[in-house]
Amino acid sequence: MLELTLGQRNGYHPVLGQVQATVHRGDRICLLGPSGVGKTTLLNVIAGLGRQALPGAVRLEPGIRLGYLFQEHRLLPWRSLFQNLALVGADRERAVYLLAQVGLAGYGHYRPDQLSLGMARRAALARCLAVEPDVLLLDEPFASLDRPRADELRQLILALLDRHPQMAMICVTHDARDAHQLANQLWYLSGRPAQLTRETLVTEAAPAPSRVSL
Amino acid sequence: MISGVPPRWAYWVALPVLVLVWAGLAGTLGSPLLPSPLSVLSTLVEAAGAGELWHHLGITLYRVAISFCLAMALGTVLGLWMGRSPLASAVLDPLLVLMLNLPALVTIILLYVWMGLVEPAAILAVVINKVPNVAVTVREGARSLDPKLEQMARVYHFTGWQRLWHVWTPQLFPYLMAATRGGLALIWKIVLVVELLGRSDGIGFQLHMAFQVFDVAAILAYSLAFIAVVQVIELGLLQPIERRASRWRRLELSHA
Repeated sequence: MLELTLGQRNGYHPVLGQVQATVHRGDRICLLGPSGVGKTTLLNVIAGLGRQALPGAVRLEPGIRLGYLFQEHRLLPWRSLFQNLALVGADRERAVYLLAQVGLAGYGHYRPDQLSLGMARRAALARCLAVEPDVLLLDEPFASLDRPRADELRQLILALLDRHPQMAMICVTHDARDAHQLANQLWYLSGRPAQLTRETLVTEAAPAPSRVSL
Repeated sequence: MISGVPPRWAYWVALPVLVLVWAGLAGTLGSPLLPSPLSVLSTLVEAAGAGELWHHLGITLYRVAISFCLAMALGTVLGLWMGRSPLASAVLDPLLVLMLNLPALVTIILLYVWMGLVEPAAILAVVINKVPNVAVTVREGARSLDPKLEQMARVYHFTGWQRLWHVWTPQLFPYLMAATRGGLALIWKIVLVVELLGRSDGIGFQLHMAFQVFDVAAILAYSLAFIAVVQVIELGLLQPIERRASRWRRLELSHA
């Protein structure tokens, strides 16, 4: 449902070189590589945020919706969480439900600056979910969170993936442990321009399906 | 080291002293060219009682309001456009600099010559004088819009309206406020000149009439009434709005 063909004549990119990959429903991909190699750039290209248009480089099946969890929360700091969610089409009832899902029940009237970093990131995750994404793009979701917060968010994401087996995920991370918990495929970016290599993880008894009830 | 909050009475020193000095001088000179504060006050009360003052004050405020709204709207659109498009900015910049340096008087005279001594000419003259200031300020704001929120708005398919109202306006607010403040200060000075040169009503016209017969009491009375209204708008409208703006500015910082 998502096809990447960078590095062909039609998809030249200054940072990214040969990137050929297909994402199918339910794929759980972790994107690894040294910092500065272009992992976020690749997510941006997928999300259509390339600095220049790359005709044909990213082919999305029609009707595919993307949810993008940026590294910063990128919620509108002058709007409440309810208003932020309303802007992506979640009415009040659905916003209440989504916030409860990410453990922020009762925080709808708060503005992002009144929340901690971890809470703001979960609120941003709620916004991702509001669009009912077919592909979830996560840019270092656990970066700069302390251990308990990071674990909390990891369990949350695992539970989400369990509940939406059709949803694909592409998660940028540095942490091999994250990769093995979350992913069934690893993508490595390396070099400059960056080349993509892929590895499918053999499901060793399906990475301990977490059954956190939300 | 300068610190601490000044006492409340500090505000009420300079102006009463000024009035006392004025009264003293007027009493000593006894000249009709410097009437006493009391006689100015009685002229003011008289003009207010006759309804004359309100008529002219109303006309002037109406002109200020119309030209202010037009100038803000045009200047904001122009500033946004120039701020978001480097090409537009490069093409229009020389024009903007020219207009910024054009004396208000030149615009006023030219428009009166070309259009006649009519209301649209008066309003247009004020608008033309104000638009470049607004555009320059808003352009600054448009250039500093957070690109990360722009990306977010694109990913989540914000409509043009949502982007304008929810993403841009809060970021532009301090700049719009700055344009408003500078704008009002400029506009009601220019409006008086416009009225003096080519209209037959308004505070500017009344000042003109008083000037013809050296009626200093009337000049001071009308000026005081006008200054009072300006102060009321400043304290009652602009400062409360600005307090909200500074709250947003703080948010913007914490967001970055």
